[in-house]
Amino acid sequence: MNLVRAELERLSARRFVQLMVVLLALAFAVTAATTLAGSHRPSEAELSSARTQAAEALQGMEATHQQCLARQNSMTPPGETDDFYATDCSEFDPIRQDRLPIAADYLPGVFSFEQQARPLLYFLIAFLVLFGFLVGASYIGADLNSGGVVNLLLWRPRRLTVLGTKLGTLLGTVLALAVGASLVYLATFWVIGQTAGLGGRPGDDFWRSLGAIHGRGLVLVLLATALGFAIATLGRHTSAALGAAAAYTVVWELGARLVLEIVDARRPDRLMLSSHIAAWLNGKVRFWDNQLCTSSSGTDPCSGFYSLTWGPSLVVLLVITGGLTVAAFAVFRRRDLL
Amino acid sequence: MSAVIEIEGLRKTFRSVRHGKRVAVDGFDLLVEAGQIHGFLGPNGSGKTTTLRALLGLVRADGGRMTVLGEPSPELLPRVAGRVGAIVESPQFFGNFTGRRTLRLLARAGGVSISRVDEALELVGLRDRGDDRVKGYSLGMKQRLAVASALLKDPRLLILDEPANGLDPAGIREMRDLMRSLAAAGVTVLVSSHILGEIQLICDHVTIISRGRRVAAGRVDEVLAGHDRHEFLVRVAEPERAVDLLHEAELTAAVEGTALVVSGVTDPTVISRVLGEQGLWVGELTPLRPDLESVFLELTGAGEHPSVPRQVDDSALPAGADDAAVIDLDVRGVDA
Repeated sequence: MNLVRAELERLSARRFVQLMVVLLALAFAVTAATTLAGSHRPSEAELSSARTQAAEALQGMEATHQQCLARQNSMTPPGETDDFYATDCSEFDPIRQDRLPIAADYLPGVFSFEQQARPLLYFLIAFLVLFGFLVGASYIGADLNSGGVVNLLLWRPRRLTVLGTKLGTLLGTVLALAVGASLVYLATFWVIGQTAGLGGRPGDDFWRSLGAIHGRGLVLVLLATALGFAIATLGRHTSAALGAAAAYTVVWELGARLVLEIVDARRPDRLMLSSHIAAWLNGKVRFWDNQLCTSSSGTDPCSGFYSLTWGPSLVVLLVITGGLTVAAFAVFRRRDLL
Repeated sequence: MSAVIEIEGLRKTFRSVRHGKRVAVDGFDLLVEAGQIHGFLGPNGSGKTTTLRALLGLVRADGGRMTVLGEPSPELLPRVAGRVGAIVESPQFFGNFTGRRTLRLLARAGGVSISRVDEALELVGLRDRGDDRVKGYSLGMKQRLAVASALLKDPRLLILDEPANGLDPAGIREMRDLMRSLAAAGVTVLVSSHILGEIQLICDHVTIISRGRRVAAGRVDEVLAGHDRHEFLVRVAEPERAVDLLHEAELTAAVEGTALVVSGVTDPTVISRVLGEQGLWVGELTPLRPDLESVFLELTGAGEHPSVPRQVDDSALPAGADDAAVIDLDVRGVDA
C-alpha cells in the first residue's frame, strides 16, 4: 500500500501528466465553449419545419424502397442490375437503416445532445487513448532512463512487485481520470443541450447504447495505456513506444495496406489493428472487398461486404496487449539494470 | 567478526550484438566484516560498479556466491533490504521535487518513518536546503541527497559508490567525518572511490580490483606494508660519489634529481655510516613509505607509462591470469 501511495505521488507529480491533463481540460473547454456559442434554442416554427422535413425524408426512403422492390419483382431481367437500384432492395428499407431521419437533422445551429453525444464521446475516447498511451510510455520510460527504477529497487528489491505496482497504479489512475473526465464531459454537454439547444429526454435505448460505447471506450483506454507501458518497458525508453506506434502506422496501416490492395489480398482490413479498434468500439464494422464477389456466379447477389464484430476484435486487442505486457514483465525480471 | 558482505567467484559477462562478449567481473572475491570501513578501489571499467550492482540484485551474475548480512543475494535480498542503504553511481531524482519530498517518497515506498527524513537531511548538511527543488541543486548537493536517501533506513550496512563525486573539499571532509561517525555507531561501510587519499584516511580495510579480479585485499596498513620496498631518500653534497660508495657497500642506490634513492635497506643507519666514513655527511634521510595511490597504480598498472594516454582496458591483471580471457569494459556503454 505504501508503494502504491508513493507511485501515485510520483505519477501525479510528473510534468507530462500534468500537461496532458491541462490539454484535456483545454480541449474540453474549447469544445464546450464553441458548442455553446454556436447553438440556440429552436423556435416553434423551426421545430415544426424540421419535423416536416424529417417526415418527408422518411417517406422518400419508403418510396425508394417500394420502387426498388417493384422493379426487382417485375421489370429487371435476370442477371441484369439496374444502374440506380441495387440487387438487394433491403439497403433501402427504412426498417433496416441504422437510424432514420429525425427533426434534429434539420435544425442547423441547434445542438442536440441525442444526436451529438456519440461523436463527442468518440472524440473524448480518442483523446484518452492518446493520453493513456503517452502517459503509460513516459511513466515507465522516463523512470527506466533516469535511474528512478533502480533507486526504487534499492528499497524494494522485488522487480515484479515494483513493475506490477507501477502498472496497476497507472491503470487505476488513468481509469479514474477517464471515468471522471467522461462523466463531467457528457454532463456538461447534456446541460448545454437542455439549456441552449434541442431539449428533450432521450430514451433508454439511447442511454444503453451510449453507455456501451463509454464502457468499451474505457476498456480501449486501459489497453492503450498498458500497451504504451509495455513497449516502453521492453525498449527501456519512452521513445521506443512512440517509435513503435509511428512505425506500425506507417509500415503496416499505410504501407502494408497498399501492398495488400496491389496484390488483391482478400479482406485486408481484418489484418489492421484500426479495424479491430473500430469494431470493438462500434460493436460491428462492415468493410467492402471486391475480391469477395469475383467467385460468385452472375445470378447470386453479392454485396462484397464483410463484417468484423466486437468479440473477435476484443480477443485480438487483448492478445496483442496481453502478450506485450507479459513479455515486458518477463524481460524486466531478468534484465541487467545499468 | 561476522561477515556482512561475502562475494566468492563472482562472474559477469555482458553480451551484445554490437559489442560481442565482454567480461566485466571474472571470479572476484570480497569479504567485508562487521564494523569495517572498507575501501573498494579499481580503475575505470575494472568492474567495481558491476560488482556492487550484482550484489544489490540490479545485474544478474553469471556465477559465484554472494551474501549480504548473512542472506544469499539476490535471492533473499528483500529480507535484509531494509537494513542496507546504498547509492550506486550518481542516482537521479525528479528535478521538480524538493529534496525533502524526494526523501519522503522513498521513505513511504520503503515503509520507513517520515521522521527519518529530517534526520537524514541534517546528517548530510541539507537541512536548510531541503525545501529547494532538486533541479536547483549542485552536483555536490545531489550527491548529499543521494547519501541521505541511503541513510534514511538507519542502515546496518552502507554501500556508497563514489560518494565524493562533485563534493567540494569541505564536503569531502564532512563525508569522511560522517562515515567515521556511522562506523563508530556500528554501521559497516563499503565505499568505492577514486580519491585514494580519502580512502587511506577513512578506511581500515581495502580491496583492489583490476580487470574484474581482486589484486589486493586486507587491512590498509598490511597492504601498504606488503609493497614497502624499504626505500630512503638521501640528500648529500656529491650524489654521484655517494652512489658509488653505496654500491661498494652492496647497497642499491640511484640518483633521482638532486637526491639519491636507496632501496632494500632495513636499517637506515647503515646509509649514514657508509657515507659518513668517507666524509660525505647526510643532509636528509627520509623513509619512502608507499601510499595507497602508489600501491594502486602499481597493482593496476595504471601508472606504468605516464606519457602515453591509458585506455580503460590497459589495466593490469593479477599474476598468473590469462590475459586473452579477460576483456574489461565500462559497463555504462554496453547493451546488456
